Amino acid sequence: MGSVRIEHLHKQFNGITALEDVNLEIREGEFFALLGPSGCGKTTTMRCVAGFESPTAGKIFIGERDVSHVPANQRNCGMVFQSYALFPHLSVFENVAYSLQVRRFYQGGLDTKLSVLAHMLNRKLGKVDKDTEKKVRDALDFVELGHLADRLPGQLSGGQQQRVALARALIMEPAVLLMDEPLSNLDKKLRSSMRVTIRRIQQKVGITTIFVTHDQEEAMSMADRVAVMQGGRLVQVDTPTALYSQPASTFVADFVGASNIFKATVKESGEAGTVLQLVGDGVIRSAFPTNRSEVDVIIRPESIRLFADGAQVDTGDNLLEGTISMSTYLGSTIRYDVQVGELQVEVDKTFEAGSPLLPAGTNVKLAIDPNVVVIL
Amino acid sequence: MKQRHSFTFNGFTVLKWLIYLFFLVFLLVPLFSILLVSLTGEPVNLFGSLTSQKILSSTLKKLSHLSLDAYSSLFEGTGYFAALVNSLKLSTGVALLVTVLVLPIAYAFARTTMPWKPFFAALCTIPLVVPTFISSYAFTLMFGKTGWVNHIYRSLGGEGVLFDVQSMLGIVLVQVFFFFPYALWPMVAAFKISDLTLEEASQNLGAQGWYTFLRVTLPLAVPGIVSSMLLIFTVSFSDFGTPIILAPKDLNLIVVEAYREIAGFYNWAGSAVLTVIMLLVAAFFFWLQRLVVKGKEYGTISGKPTRQKLNDHKGVVAVLTIYTFLVMLVPLLAVGSVFLSSLATTWGHHALPDGYTLKHYLTIFSTSHKNIVNSLVLAAGALVLSVVIATFVSYFVVRRGSGGLDFVSSIPLIVPGISLGIALIQTFNTAPLKLTGTALLLIVAYTIRRMPYMIRSTMSSMMAIRKDIEEAAVNLGASNLLAAVTVIGPLMLPGIAAGAILVFVTVIKETSISLLLAPTDWAPMSLAVFQNLLRGEYYTASAMAILIIAIVIALQSLAKKLTKDQLY
Repeated sequence: MGSVRIEHLHKQFNGITALEDVNLEIREGEFFALLGPSGCGKTTTMRCVAGFESPTAGKIFIGERDVSHVPANQRNCGMVFQSYALFPHLSVFENVAYSLQVRRFYQGGLDTKLSVLAHMLNRKLGKVDKDTEKKVRDALDFVELGHLADRLPGQLSGGQQQRVALARALIMEPAVLLMDEPLSNLDKKLRSSMRVTIRRIQQKVGITTIFVTHDQEEAMSMADRVAVMQGGRLVQVDTPTALYSQPASTFVADFVGASNIFKATVKESGEAGTVLQLVGDGVIRSAFPTNRSEVDVIIRPESIRLFADGAQVDTGDNLLEGTISMSTYLGSTIRYDVQVGELQVEVDKTFEAGSPLLPAGTNVKLAIDPNVVVIL
Repeated sequence: MKQRHSFTFNGFTVLKWLIYLFFLVFLLVPLFSILLVSLTGEPVNLFGSLTSQKILSSTLKKLSHLSLDAYSSLFEGTGYFAALVNSLKLSTGVALLVTVLVLPIAYAFARTTMPWKPFFAALCTIPLVVPTFISSYAFTLMFGKTGWVNHIYRSLGGEGVLFDVQSMLGIVLVQVFFFFPYALWPMVAAFKISDLTLEEASQNLGAQGWYTFLRVTLPLAVPGIVSSMLLIFTVSFSDFGTPIILAPKDLNLIVVEAYREIAGFYNWAGSAVLTVIMLLVAAFFFWLQRLVVKGKEYGTISGKPTRQKLNDHKGVVAVLTIYTFLVMLVPLLAVGSVFLSSLATTWGHHALPDGYTLKHYLTIFSTSHKNIVNSLVLAAGALVLSVVIATFVSYFVVRRGSGGLDFVSSIPLIVPGISLGIALIQTFNTAPLKLTGTALLLIVAYTIRRMPYMIRSTMSSMMAIRKDIEEAAVNLGASNLLAAVTVIGPLMLPGIAAGAILVFVTVIKETSISLLLAPTDWAPMSLAVFQNLLRGEYYTASAMAILIIAIVIALQSLAKKLTKDQLY
């Protein structure tokens, strides 16, 4: 087991910069997500750790060992590929046994080498030794696939293939587990159950895990910490809750969830909070101080309360008046687009059975707690 | 890691240059040297010029009077010009006729509810497994003066023969009925592309069914049709088996002319000019075909599969079914005729043989078993050489992006067999590399000729192996070499095996190279059939032909099974 440290990692492909000065410290046993849109460098970062790409500059440590120039096959990183990359001609059992067989091949004498090689080329030749057999059976039982050991990967469902890939990576007891968008090939329902499965397995084994994804929900729900990347750089590294409530930039705010992002000028600011003039219309108070004059303001749609015109409203909050321009029913929530002066504000309201959808054109009041008005 | 990387790089680089050397020595130099011969009018010894001062100076002297005389005489109405014109006429005629013949069948396959499609598709493979010189011979069994078709024709009250099979018309018909499958499948694909919604739009605007077909369906299929037409043209132009059997003395065709110049008169200058001309024509039409296909390919790949409504009009379907069956019946009857003839005691002037015997098969296994062994040995040699070269070429092209090798290895696609044969003979008939008349040169020639097809097969199976599978093996601790042996190798094997079998098959079918290059001790089966035909030993020729067809069918179905199994 080990921590992972990335120092000043740079990577260029044919003169095009893919990674720029990436610094990360991933703790032992941590479930760490690399989150970002496609092309942000998250996969390249992971491939550098795995050794499939060599850094243009910078260093990578696994534990205390500098692996920057260690060949990929000697890094002891287990990897789960996006496409799973199971060997299609080998059974589930042989797939999982592969790394153990390779190890025996390199460590054994000539006779072991020959028998292992023969067996890998055709499983009817030779036998797997008892120790390997037991380890593979245990690993397959661990991912609840013991009964499918003799199938070929092509005969398994997506979720099962995913678990084989996981067992194959874990059996060699790697220092780090790398997962490249492992859930992107699964349908929505399976995806959420696999999230739980993967997280459970990771906790049980206690292995340091780096998880690459472009899906913020996946990253937020599974990871201990999340690194958001953009254009080859790290933008913010934080826990999911901090990332959501205190995004470091509008990009992060936008990426980790739907947001109302407004430009504003600061009228006054102090320990007690800030008064802001929104560009467009309206004045709003925030509980947070700032020392700048031009800022971005972020308000999560679900933290705004919406009242039909005429309702009594708690006076401690910011109060804006507007008109619904569109209402969209999304199942568990209703999304209202509210026109406040020149501003378009999105509001999410939990749907309660029996309560009617407010039609477009309805005049409403929006109550906003100063504590949810985040200043960037 | 750095050191190791550069080491493998060097090892692979040596290998890459060895492959380049192979193509240089056995393909590029011979083609270049035949070009020089056509310009100097005298044989040129390029390899000799490298080893001997004397040969070098004589070569330089020859090169000092390069001229286009030989080519200008071509256009002054000599026999060569007539041969070129006749060949162009033949190929154009065949290309047009095939298109007209196949159009309804392609439509029937793609857009109607025609029954027994799998059966018809299976029948379509028959013309492709029969070497053309055997199909030509089969046509003489049917339509010759004593052929059974003419016997039936006469007994129905006809006079003489239906048509003279030893003529341009005979050649055209053989090529049409044996080359049409090359055009059929591309045309079926072309008809499938055209979008149903467009046709519905046309009907919605008030157009009748026929009008829609002519104005919408057909124009959309045109690129596909044109490309298969050009393909047929090239195949027909390069075909040697049909003309050598069926061309009458007074009909000059460029392939036959070139063969006669070299095999009969050792006229280097003449055959060189013809070789260059053939190559240019084939290359031009090949290029034209690629040009037409190019734009289309993207359309089919990016286009989402469109819904097809099949024409189920009873009358149309019935007519098309009968028509398709009749067209496919012709090659079947031709092969059947050869089969009957191989079992006949004698056969002529009757609808069926006079009696049946197995003695022709006994004859070929006793007196011609050497030819059978030769064929198998030569084919096996070409197979081994092809597998080694094709595997590495695919590796370099797919995994290391070597465009140069990709280009060089596909040059043989445009070289007609007879041209390659003449070029090789010219280059290797004197010291220092005197290889003409050896089995080695024969094997090399077969290998080069079939290389593009073999490479296509290995390349596609190499491409089918995603890179991450290789990476997964490395990630699990295997070195690149161990990953290649335990993962890439086994995954590529079916592709290699299928390609290898196809090489084996085409070598057994090969006519032009065998006829030109095979020495008597290495005469393969195809040459034996040819010589038997020349000697008038028709029944033995038939038996040997059936044996060739049987081997080809058996191996080809094996190859097909292997490629199918490849998809896990």
